[in-house]
Amino acid sequence: MNRILILVIASGFLRAQDLAAVVKRGEAVFASTCSVGYCHGSKGSVGSAPRLAARGFDQNYIATTVARGISGTAMPPFATTLPRADFAAVVAYVATLNGVTNSSLGGQGSIPPTEPEAPPSAEGARGRALFSEAVRGFGRCSTCHEVDGIGISVATPMSQIPASVSAFRSMSTPQVSTARTDTEAMPALVVSNTKRALVFYDLTTPPPVLRTLEPSALTLSTGSSWRHSSVIESYRDEELGSILEYLRAVLKP
Amino acid sequence: MKPIVFATLMCTICYCADGQAVDGATRADWPHYGGSQLSWRYTALDQVNTSNVKNLAPAWIFQTGDYSEGLQATPIVVDAVMYLITARAQVFALDASSGKVLWHYRYPPRRPGIAGGLSEVQESRGLTVGFGLVFFGSSDNHVVALDQKTGQEVWNVAVDDPKQCGCGISAAPLLVKDKVIVGGNGGDQAHRGYLTAFYAKTGRLAWRWYVIPGPGEKGNETWKGDSWKSGGGAPWMTGSYDPALNLVYWGTGNAASDFYDGARAPSTDKSKDTNLYTASVVALDADTGKLRWHYQEVPDDLWDFDSSYEVILMDREVRGRMRQLLVHMNKSGLTFVLDRATGEFIGVFSTPEVRNWITGVTEDGKLVGRNEPKVGQLGNFCPSAAGAKSWNSMAYSPRTGFLYAPINEICYDLKPTDEGPQEGHGFMNSSMDFKLPPGRTTYSHLDAWDPVTGKRAWSYPYKYILLASVLATAGDLVFTGDPEGNLIALNARNGDKLWSYQTGAGHRGSAISYSVNGRQFIATPTGWQMGLVGGLGPSLFPDLHIRSGSTIVTFALPEGSR
Repeated sequence: MNRILILVIASGFLRAQDLAAVVKRGEAVFASTCSVGYCHGSKGSVGSAPRLAARGFDQNYIATTVARGISGTAMPPFATTLPRADFAAVVAYVATLNGVTNSSLGGQGSIPPTEPEAPPSAEGARGRALFSEAVRGFGRCSTCHEVDGIGISVATPMSQIPASVSAFRSMSTPQVSTARTDTEAMPALVVSNTKRALVFYDLTTPPPVLRTLEPSALTLSTGSSWRHSSVIESYRDEELGSILEYLRAVLKP
Repeated sequence: MKPIVFATLMCTICYCADGQAVDGATRADWPHYGGSQLSWRYTALDQVNTSNVKNLAPAWIFQTGDYSEGLQATPIVVDAVMYLITARAQVFALDASSGKVLWHYRYPPRRPGIAGGLSEVQESRGLTVGFGLVFFGSSDNHVVALDQKTGQEVWNVAVDDPKQCGCGISAAPLLVKDKVIVGGNGGDQAHRGYLTAFYAKTGRLAWRWYVIPGPGEKGNETWKGDSWKSGGGAPWMTGSYDPALNLVYWGTGNAASDFYDGARAPSTDKSKDTNLYTASVVALDADTGKLRWHYQEVPDDLWDFDSSYEVILMDREVRGRMRQLLVHMNKSGLTFVLDRATGEFIGVFSTPEVRNWITGVTEDGKLVGRNEPKVGQLGNFCPSAAGAKSWNSMAYSPRTGFLYAPINEICYDLKPTDEGPQEGHGFMNSSMDFKLPPGRTTYSHLDAWDPVTGKRAWSYPYKYILLASVLATAGDLVFTGDPEGNLIALNARNGDKLWSYQTGAGHRGSAISYSVNGRQFIATPTGWQMGLVGGLGPSLFPDLHIRSGSTIVTFALPEGSR
């Protein structure tokens, strides 16, 4: 009897500790995501967005609202933008602001890892940063490629990774055509070509421009003078090496 | 007072530095976000005037059906067609005399960005028209050109990835010669603000100007370490253009992190430029995007008083000499008057009635008695980052010489932290708890200010907050809307209320005027923005039954009563 009681108390105690950790994390998520800018006030007080403390919200309502947002308001859905553990934690935190104290708060009560899977090497991590490095403006890889959720998917997903930096530099791009109008020729990555409209990326100068023209306004021919090497000019060889390392790690062909 | 104003007015019309005063009035069309590229929000139409405004009546009403975040736009009218964008970037072309839909475009589902980022807030505020195209920006950073006749997409370019930058585009682009210039938001995130110009016909990049200079560029030394990479400064509203000087003018946002400067300010001397070119007005060469001059209004902005608002260009006599002026208010309510050819400081005045962030400003424009937020300390500051004026625009009438400004009296509590940046994520370093200042019964006022004397000519007090733009007309009328749903008309010379109409929903957009076949229309967007600063309506005023919506209500004098 005594033993069982002790076990119950012990597990309750552990749970409470876990819960405290979850709520603490939720408080941090709330501070960095919800009580920011012109949104909710600190600790659920009045901000630009409504007060969240002591509103009588239950956990289900909070979870649903955080996940789906509120249509027609500035409250966005967080279901796809917030890591799962952060989501559970912030729901738990807002629930405590509303006096909910039951032990089901915070899902399992444990905090799974939420950071994206780290590339296996320091070089790969550097490659990840270089791939989308903001200071390169439109000269970065992510201007045209989406990898691991970051970047603009102008190019189709990469099917193969160059074997070396020199192969990277000399990569051919047969999929880029040349589109000619009465007045100019431009490198074109065709997206669709129907009787009604020709849709293509004009690659004349980064960033690519998705253009829609009447097919009769243009003629298309295979091949172009466009070179991938010219748009990756801002990267040094060793930087391209890091990017290759990153691509090998995340694309896992 | 009146004879002085009259003399000034005569000079404005008759003489100018180069012999011709700039004309920022609109007529039949309302072609730009600010009316004209000088951003006066003033129409030369005077069919509706102080004596007949009492007869003004609804002419047509158009409901967009897209009520999310209200209707925040300035409609554009060109050749009797009205172009309108909703907060979620649905675009309509309407017959401007009847409201009949000519075409309708829906921006496709947007790419989600970063939780809590500005890119997650859909708040398109305007578009621009030219070269047979209609241009707008999206909350996920695309700039799109539609065919003006059909609404079909002609070009579409991705400017940035919202998943990385946390930024978006809410402002109307500015069309200047052959280019469309677009500012982005995200300056309260760890992000480096920029303006981008595209060739209007092709969508190809013309130039990009980063608000924050990179290493080796002049101004980078005003940043500590690598802080320039995530230093904010987003130019998130629409600029102005002077064709004679070929200069584009833009206001830039605050530095990030907003409320903590320990990682970004290299010096404790706050009298000097700090964190350039944030919290500034800048003049750029329209063809190249190269910086010509800058004026930093709030060095080391620690209050989120970003200087990103409209830039009003006018020619006026100052101390006996005609000057090419630029008038610019930031969120603090400080309004700077500069020489727009050189950036030379001419004057400044402060518009809110409740103020504790500074004790004053010197005659040469330096801030005195800065009351700064401090890490870990709870402080109350007035006005607030919601703005003595929000992003909704002022108007300027060359007939009265007055600026018409909706000023709010709101304070806020801050308790800054010293956390570091994470790219694209919120980087304000404090929550903001907004408070009404004690001892008042009214919390806003629509004011008439003479930008040359810095004197307030009249003030129209209002119980709640005012978040709609102002329209001034040659009929000596000033129009604005309130959160209760009223469109009101005041006498531009003395502030007397002459007319009002209950439109059914709160006002957060910008009224315009135009004419079709000789009939003058006044058109106002209605539909309150419930988020961001608009959220202060319901949260600060529980007794205010505030309504959103998304409707254009258009007024004219009834046929036969003109």
